[in-house]
Amino acid sequence: MPIHEKSLIRKENLVTHERLTLEGVDVSGDWSTFIQPRVITDYNEAMQDEIAALPGGEAIHRCWQCGSCTNACTINALNSDFNPRYWIYLIRIGLESELLRDKDIIWQCVSCNKCTYACPRDVNPEGVMKATAHWLELKGHTPPSPAMVFDEVFSEQVFEHGRIEDGRVLRRFFARTGQALRQDWLVAMVKGLVSRLPVSLLIRLGLATVIEPKTRGWGPARAAIAEYVAERHAADRRALSLPAEESKR
Amino acid sequence: MSSQNSKVAYYPGCALEGTGSAYDRSTRAVGKALGLGIEELENWNCCGAMEVKNIDPKLQTYLSARNLSIAEKMGHTTVMAPCNGCYHNLKKAEYDLAHDLASVEVNERLSAKAGHAAYRPGKVTTIHALDWIRDAIGEDGIKARVRNSLSGLKIANYYGCMYTRPRHIFPEKDKGPGSESTSKPHFMDDLLAAAGAQNVDYPLKTACCGGAHTLSDSDTSTRLVLNLLTTAEACGADVIATECPTCHTGLEMHQARAEKVLGKKTTVKILYFTQLLGMALGLSARAVGVHENFSESRDLLREKGLG
Repeated sequence: MPIHEKSLIRKENLVTHERLTLEGVDVSGDWSTFIQPRVITDYNEAMQDEIAALPGGEAIHRCWQCGSCTNACTINALNSDFNPRYWIYLIRIGLESELLRDKDIIWQCVSCNKCTYACPRDVNPEGVMKATAHWLELKGHTPPSPAMVFDEVFSEQVFEHGRIEDGRVLRRFFARTGQALRQDWLVAMVKGLVSRLPVSLLIRLGLATVIEPKTRGWGPARAAIAEYVAERHAADRRALSLPAEESKR
Repeated sequence: MSSQNSKVAYYPGCALEGTGSAYDRSTRAVGKALGLGIEELENWNCCGAMEVKNIDPKLQTYLSARNLSIAEKMGHTTVMAPCNGCYHNLKKAEYDLAHDLASVEVNERLSAKAGHAAYRPGKVTTIHALDWIRDAIGEDGIKARVRNSLSGLKIANYYGCMYTRPRHIFPEKDKGPGSESTSKPHFMDDLLAAAGAQNVDYPLKTACCGGAHTLSDSDTSTRLVLNLLTTAEACGADVIATECPTCHTGLEMHQARAEKVLGKKTTVKILYFTQLLGMALGLSARAVGVHENFSESRDLLREKGLG
């Protein structure tokens, strides 16, 4: 008889003995498989407070582990390793090493807000996912994710001009992530569109890529936003006990 | 039907000036055909879309609130936003500025430094293009104005994420009969049914298209969109009606991408609800910008005697 819960235990944590005698009883065969004992001593006691200090993570302490978030999750339906409830648990008890096993997928949250809709405790799990992804990047556990690069490319344009032009966002994002702009599917789609559009509209769309759309008199707002962003960055780094960053610009 | 929304401030947002141009064109055309006045917000700015909140949510609240303060200055009490992202962010700004002191503090500070009045909740509220048409014209009003019925057209109505979630920022929804539902929204279904369409029972009305990561995690978005498309086809739909430029473009892009990358071809057409409504009101396909869609639907429309 195999232990049928075996499928729930990671392979590296299972120990099977070829022959085993325990207290004089021969338990070789079906009864010789054990879960590796483990003693965890490296809890990161600051982890919950650090993530709660980042935007979106504020209400993580409210979680009751009901699992409504994971049950509702769009990405969990595609990949069962994407498990917001479990990550919130790990963060709350400080099991950093276990959280880091999933560090490369946490950024994939699509902000559909099904979790936030379902959560009976107002934890805002969507915000917690974003705060956790930020935390992983700030701590140097992950490189900036493609989503973060996109958010930055997009936001830089909003902060600079008040508005964005989507073609420019797309080109800058592809350039910054080192992808070719001439993806097969993108080329096919644009060709189809160009064949249908009147010349006047093509000229207008073309012009929009040269003359960036802007909000007039944006200067004071730009300065106020830049100051606020710098203030927030500094506060985030302080909350994570990271040294102050030299200014990028 | 009340006509309090018959003259509203119009907030198109960035997408409607770019990839969502057909949505802007068809919204304006439908408004004109229905005799509804709109006045574009003067010198508006981006609401923060789905990106700025990941830099800082309070900054997104400020960006959205600036647009609300412009509406107030122009003497409007209602802002109409057709884009789900804009609509969601403006609603969220209204909610946060009424409930979260820290957001109020940041908004006041940034507004003062930027040199304009800070938005304070209560005077201006945001509605979606669906509310705008429904409140001002209503289903009976649409029925009376239909010149080219959508009869014979099977439609899956797709509302996406940001029109209903999270529910707390939409206090007017889930208020019983006559109000919108956040779990089973129906305003688009109702309007298109009034225009003669046969709505299919689509279970993925509020499922996610992966729009936030449409470029940064394309494989995930393609899988999510392919599911939306194949389910619509399984429900017998000829068309998916959309009400958001991000969903709309995402559906079109990933329909093309699913065919190229995964070899999965789907043929369901994708049209903005305003395009469908406009054609039912007798407008031509060109007048509602069907030629601006990436997805080619003109053969189907001709076959159904539309546009």
